[in-house]
Amino acid sequence: MTIKHESQKIAQNFYTFAVLLFLVQVAIGIIAAIQFIKPDFFILNFNIIRSLHINALVVWLLVGLMGATYYVVPEESETELWSIPLAKFQFWATVIAVTAVVLGYIWMGLNPQANTLVFGTRLLNEGREYIEAPRWADILIVVSVLVFLLNNFMTMLKTKKWTGIQGTLLGGLTFLALMYLPGMFYTQSMVKDQFWWWWVVHLWVEGSWEVIAGALLAFMLMKVTGVKREVVEKWMYIEVGLVLFTGILGLGHHYYWIGTPGYWLWVGGIFSALEPVPLLVMVWDAFRTTREARVVTNKAGLYYTVAHAIFNFVGAGLWGVIHTLPQVNKWTHGTQITTAHGHLAFYGAYVLLILSMIYVTLPAIRGVKEYNQSRAFLSFWWMTISMIFIVLTITGAGMVQTYMERLMGLDYVAVKTTYNMWFWILRAIFGVGFLIGVGIFVKDYFKIGKEPVPAVSPAAEKA
Amino acid sequence: MSNKAARNLFIFGSLFFFVILVILTFDTLAKLPKRAPEITEEVNAGKMVWHKYDCIGCHTILGNGSYFAPDMTKVTERKPKEYLKQFLMDPKSVNPKASMPKFGITSEEAEKLIAFLDWISKVDTNGWPPKPILATAAGVAGRELTSGQRLYQSLGCSNCHMINGIGGTTGPDLTHVGSKKDRVWLFGHFKDPKAYVPNSVMPGFGHLSEQELNDLTDYMIALK
Ligand code: HEC
Ligand code: HEC
Ligand code: HEM
Ligand code: HEM
Ligand SMILES: [Fe+2]
Repeated sequence: MTIKHESQKIAQNFYTFAVLLFLVQVAIGIIAAIQFIKPDFFILNFNIIRSLHINALVVWLLVGLMGATYYVVPEESETELWSIPLAKFQFWATVIAVTAVVLGYIWMGLNPQANTLVFGTRLLNEGREYIEAPRWADILIVVSVLVFLLNNFMTMLKTKKWTGIQGTLLGGLTFLALMYLPGMFYTQSMVKDQFWWWWVVHLWVEGSWEVIAGALLAFMLMKVTGVKREVVEKWMYIEVGLVLFTGILGLGHHYYWIGTPGYWLWVGGIFSALEPVPLLVMVWDAFRTTREARVVTNKAGLYYTVAHAIFNFVGAGLWGVIHTLPQVNKWTHGTQITTAHGHLAFYGAYVLLILSMIYVTLPAIRGVKEYNQSRAFLSFWWMTISMIFIVLTITGAGMVQTYMERLMGLDYVAVKTTYNMWFWILRAIFGVGFLIGVGIFVKDYFKIGKEPVPAVSPAAEKA
Repeated sequence: MSNKAARNLFIFGSLFFFVILVILTFDTLAKLPKRAPEITEEVNAGKMVWHKYDCIGCHTILGNGSYFAPDMTKVTERKPKEYLKQFLMDPKSVNPKASMPKFGITSEEAEKLIAFLDWISKVDTNGWPPKPILATAAGVAGRELTSGQRLYQSLGCSNCHMINGIGGTTGPDLTHVGSKKDRVWLFGHFKDPKAYVPNSVMPGFGHLSEQELNDLTDYMIALK
């Protein structure tokens, strides 16, 4: 396995930045988990730590997606990237902007008064979950994404090979860029604020990102198992179609209780309850394709790809659907049940997506046919088992919270500091397990293709 | 189904659902003003302060945000404004065990925040947060209450105080208050808390009748 076009190597810059941010994100998650036990554990308050945790997550996933796209588009278009200098510029501009935003959060953490108004917007932190980045950073992000889209679009125009995979990928990315805009204006009403905020958050993770995931899943299955393009692309269209048919109006599951009209209970309940269907089709697709595969050299790549499909369904589909009907959501809304779902969904759907893209494409980028795959499996199990236990722990905390606070009427703080204390402690412990898994993965990332391949076959070594 | 047909179904089907979303969005935006009170200068200023200090990084509001601290949707219904103001400016001065940090919120900022939170509490949220059903059921089936206990419930003392694990955590736990304070202290403290505890944020109950204050005091004394 080697790359056909030299410019695909640019993907590696993005991957490296993503992988390092992943490590930072998870380490910060552990600080957040400890603050549930000891609130003044760290020099920065919980809100700053949490912003760093979730912003690092979103940014590294986006950066990873960009890397993956820079790999896929030249491959599908069968040509070099339109402009490598532009891609490099876009990369470094992103790194600098992200660093500036992070420094801003830390500054605000040390001195809350520093978050002043400049030209009517906040200097350091917009104070809105996930899109905390201030307006000047929003604009830089939009410019960076536009440059990125332009570069890929021009590459496709060079040969005009409109494959389904790259068309869908580009469509998903354009949708993603557009859906950042509803978060970029101020509204006086908190109801409207949250209304548009959910356009960004929901139409990202349950709309455009799932479309991108569908396209990349098709690409990976095709590369790793060698199945025919016609077949994967047809199923891809069906999957991403169902994602949007259910996901767009599924947005209504966030409009039950924020001051919006009552008909959203029907719209959101019905459409979001159907959202797991396309995710289940993806699992079936991954299994069917794998069964037909004759020779698979990149076993780790395939393993991560199939795991991505499965945990996308479990985390987003199952852990989503349990609290999506208004009759249930009325009691669980804004409890730890939401945190449990958020973690498993992001891990299964997008963390594993980027990791599988790395395992599918990195060996080719580094120019090796075979590599020592044992570390890939080891890190997978450390991360996955730890994540499952984190999620079970927090689901337990969410059930206790829902019962005691929402059904029995006990005080929020009383439940948090007494009944749920053991769950917080267990989560922090499993978090360390997850960090170990990430550590193994990061080591593997830097070693792949740079050490001799062991004599034993990697599959035998796995056990 | 051919690939081309599948692709067209994907594209036009998605556009169809997106158009429906846009229509529903227009309808919703048109209906919002009737579902909440008017937004005054002060409410908007309070919202700006809310963003300035990133309150959403610990709290939820309308159920969305972070799950580290209590939901703010109905907080002005549960707590008096005096109390909220002092808590926002310096949480530990109200409740020594508070873990919310002191951010340097000024007195004007606190007032704006309270106006904003008051506006939020009046938004029509389709009945969220729901009333705890088990607590209501227990009340119906419960034993005969003394008049002191009934006053304790109707005056909202349990928003701040806890007895036997039930109630708020921002005021002292009253489970054993009868063995800590005497009748005179309790009676006087109800009439004017600040006269007994400087800077107390407990509201005074001097407007109650002598009889009612005695009943409350009896109840407190019984808590040993
Ligand atoms: C670092 C996390 C954090 C941040 C940021 C934060 N709070 Fe809090 N807040 C808490 C915690 C935790 C509590 C629960 C009581 C306690 O332990 O202090 C609380 C309690 C409160 C209460 C009292 C609730 C009650 O029922 O008595 C109010 C009101 C409040 N916060 C408002 C705000 C506002 C307004 C902001 C933004 C200016 C804010 N908080 C920012 C953590 C935070
Ligand atoms: C807004 C919150 C709030 C409400 C409502 C409230 N209190 Fe308090 N209470 C406090 C705070 C804060 C203190 C501690 C300062 C003080 O002693 O004045 C306190 C102190 C007390 C004490 C003294 C406890 C001790 O150990 O020192 C008693 C008794 C008491 N409250 C009873 C009541 C009763 C009975 C009611 C209802 C009629 C009530 N409180 C309503 C906040 C509240
Ligand atoms: C990959 C896809 C998904 C991801 C990454 C994801 C992630 C999240 C996150 C992070 C939140 C919390 C948002 C906040 O901070 O307020 C959330 C909320 C929610 N999600 Fe998902 N989700 C996904 C798919 C789904 C699906 C398919 C469903 C339903 C079937 C669903 C149902 C819900 C519901 C009902 C809430 C609101 C919870 C509440 O009321 O507090 N999600 N999701
Ligand atoms: C890849 C792994 C992880 C992902 C994808 C992830 C994702 C997220 C997301 C999306 C949120 C916002 C939650 C929501 O609104 O529902 C969040 C919050 C949080 N995360 Fe993580 N996280 C990961 C790992 C960890 C680890 C290892 C820990 C530590 C044990 C951790 C601890 C926390 C804590 C304490 C919060 C705050 C939750 C709250 O407000 O109740 N995370 N994380
Ligand atoms: Fe959603």
